[in-house]
Amino acid sequence: MSQSWEPKIIAFLCNWCSYPAADLAGVGRMQYPPNVRIVRVPCSSRVSANLILSALKSGADGVLVSGCHPGDCHYISGNLYARRRFALLKNLIEFIGIEPGRVNFFWAAASEGGKIVEVMKTVSASVKELGPAGRMVKRFDVPARSPQQKFA
Amino acid sequence: MSQINSKITEEIRSKVKALLSAEEIAAFVGFIDGTLPMTARPFTARSPEDADRLVFNSFCVVNPAVYLPPLLKSLEPPRRPTDPLPEGPLPKVGILATGCWSRNISIQLQENQIARERVVVLGTGCRGMVDMRKVGSIIDGREIEKAYELDDRISVSGKGFSEEILLEDVLRDNCLTCICPNPVIMDHRVGGQVPDRRVDNRFPFVDEIESKSLDKRWEWFQNEISSCIRCYACRNVCPLCYCPTCFVDDSRPQWVGKSLDPADTSIFHILRAFHCAGRCTNCGSCETVCPMGINMRVLTSKLTKDVIDLYGTEAGVDSDAPLPLTTYSETDRQDFMV
Amino acid sequence: MNKIYGLERADLEKWLSRWSEKSTVYCPDEGDGRGPASFSGWKVWAGDVLPEIKPGPAKCSIKTFYFPQPESLHTFSTASDDPDAFLLMEAERDRSANVLVGLRPCDARAVYLNGLPYSKDPYFQHRDSRTTLVGFSCLEQCSTCFCQEVGGSPFDTHRLDIAITEIKGRFIAEVLSERGEALVDGAGGAGPASDKEIAELDRLKNEAKVLKSDSGENLKAKELMALYNAGFWDSVADSCLNCGACTFLCPTCYCFDIQDEVVGNKGRRIRYWDSCMFPLYSQHASGHNPRGMKMQRVRNRFMHKLKYFPDRFGPLSCVGCGRCIRECPVNIDIREVLKDLLGVE
Repeated sequence: MSQSWEPKIIAFLCNWCSYPAADLAGVGRMQYPPNVRIVRVPCSSRVSANLILSALKSGADGVLVSGCHPGDCHYISGNLYARRRFALLKNLIEFIGIEPGRVNFFWAAASEGGKIVEVMKTVSASVKELGPAGRMVKRFDVPARSPQQKFA
Repeated sequence: MSQINSKITEEIRSKVKALLSAEEIAAFVGFIDGTLPMTARPFTARSPEDADRLVFNSFCVVNPAVYLPPLLKSLEPPRRPTDPLPEGPLPKVGILATGCWSRNISIQLQENQIARERVVVLGTGCRGMVDMRKVGSIIDGREIEKAYELDDRISVSGKGFSEEILLEDVLRDNCLTCICPNPVIMDHRVGGQVPDRRVDNRFPFVDEIESKSLDKRWEWFQNEISSCIRCYACRNVCPLCYCPTCFVDDSRPQWVGKSLDPADTSIFHILRAFHCAGRCTNCGSCETVCPMGINMRVLTSKLTKDVIDLYGTEAGVDSDAPLPLTTYSETDRQDFMV
Repeated sequence: MNKIYGLERADLEKWLSRWSEKSTVYCPDEGDGRGPASFSGWKVWAGDVLPEIKPGPAKCSIKTFYFPQPESLHTFSTASDDPDAFLLMEAERDRSANVLVGLRPCDARAVYLNGLPYSKDPYFQHRDSRTTLVGFSCLEQCSTCFCQEVGGSPFDTHRLDIAITEIKGRFIAEVLSERGEALVDGAGGAGPASDKEIAELDRLKNEAKVLKSDSGENLKAKELMALYNAGFWDSVADSCLNCGACTFLCPTCYCFDIQDEVVGNKGRRIRYWDSCMFPLYSQHASGHNPRGMKMQRVRNRFMHKLKYFPDRFGPLSCVGCGRCIRECPVNIDIREVLKDLLGVE
């Protein structure tokens, strides 16, 4: 791995708390790593497993998902439903061998510009530590196996 | 023929015959003998004569609940999608249900896929179904020409061999870890109550994988799915899979590519399992029908184990308890978060 | 008159070694024993011993060679600074020569049958022209084999370049084509088969022929709409799950779909297996689906194999390998459907 390699991290931030928190960080001139690309979603419960796995498939080295703190959800309970899904999903993808640091969840309130910057810093440092994502990334240079050919 | 199963078969036939003759039900979903030894074909009986073909044995490996929602829909009078349902009672469907199958019916009820008043459940206890792959490895892959089922064993024979196999040795892994052999909902009982199985460890395969290192787990997963031909038999046989458009068929965005790319196949298997989280009843159909012998039930078992650990619910056993992913608790664990 | 050689096992292995100098030689892979009574597929011959070839066809059909999953047709770039962006470039083709050893006559017949609709398909033809098929006749059939009922035979030689029959531990190799001759010439080590062996081979072939009936001709003579509207389709569809296990294991199911895939700024146009069992197969862009019901899709699969294809090309598009019977999750048996169709007045 070359020294200059920088990870690409996709962050799904909810419209009501986490995205404003990132916005607040920007307004407050707080610096966060440029590795993080933000996708604004209506609510953390909008983030399905499909979205997270698609990000990994398309070559994201890390994924961040954030919503309002429990009790603060704009839709009352979206983040609480999401919490159950995320817990199961994280366990499942680690079970099949995806590195624990690749997919991360956290809560951030609209006022927590400092916290979101801290999380982005830690996550991008830890993903950088993990190195480029190799698992679940779709590539064309991998020759397709015919079904009867097993791994050596 | 097994005494127990032939008695159940007789009871099913007479009961279904009576129900169909009285026009109480329009159709009954059960099994008939298949064309190969040790197979049973899911069958929809629509006339009293059809009822005479029904059987119950240790080879009924497909969960018949998968046929229920589309069959009920097909029996409704034709109408435009926006038209309301006609008034008055709609035709009913009867179905055979063991423990896990009835749990799937219960989940379909909870998820409003079927209406309770339109389903007549014939419940029977189940002592487990046979895993043909286990039989195959005992007889060294030779072809079975005749099979004869007794209460606790199966005698199989073919060119140059004849063997008696203990039923317990060839039951499917999901049946060996079954916690619910008797139906949770039923309208009529056929056969007797089956004693609960003593299960020391419900998730031996999950534990085995969990004990491996991260790299070994990935290797296991890639190896397991490498033979997948993406025929979607696991998806189509699953009574939980009733979406009008499956995520694999979405094209904008396309969640999974259509060919045999390892990344696409991985995502298909993860998402298929994930969609069954908290709903899977461990009926084992997916694993049984896979033509390539992929043990994809390990993934759903992992989710079941986690759901029990984290949220303490068992899919389809208690029809009043909401399914775990349709509810929440303010005190749910969140120690996995950053 | 074809050249017929008699070989010992060691001679045959020597042939394989010689062939693998110039081409990739595939031989049966016993696999992990997941499939009953059959070997699982093919592997590249490692130059050791020829594995035992169990009765019946391999679990995965020869289709996995002839229709790669996926086949890249074109590649393209979507990079904004690429002057050739969005121009379709011809994908690189596999230039290696392949020799497939140990396939069954039914699989070779499937290549012949698929070659009829694919006679002008450059990808199929390119691959076929670089592949030599060395088949093993079936001295023993599985209970799910029914090649004789659909125009084949355990000794069928359609599309085979070399047909090998194992008689009392010796391999009798019939060279059937120029490509086969090219392989055998210079491979050395084998003498012509004895008259006794040739007589035995003829005897076996004639014995197998006796069973042959002519379902294809009978179905061709039947009226299309009578078969189409037959009453039994509903009961077949009642059991069917509409999965693609039968179509994807079938050696003569050749339907495909084409899609463009993009990863980063690289794209490719791929051709991949499709199945008439899937609703998406016939779905129109408008949302209308002419085969929207399960029964229509099940009917189409069987009607295509047993009626539409023979009406157009002659033979049935089924080789009687029995894979679909063995692997169908709900035991839908094409032999029953064939019988039902033949019974339609």
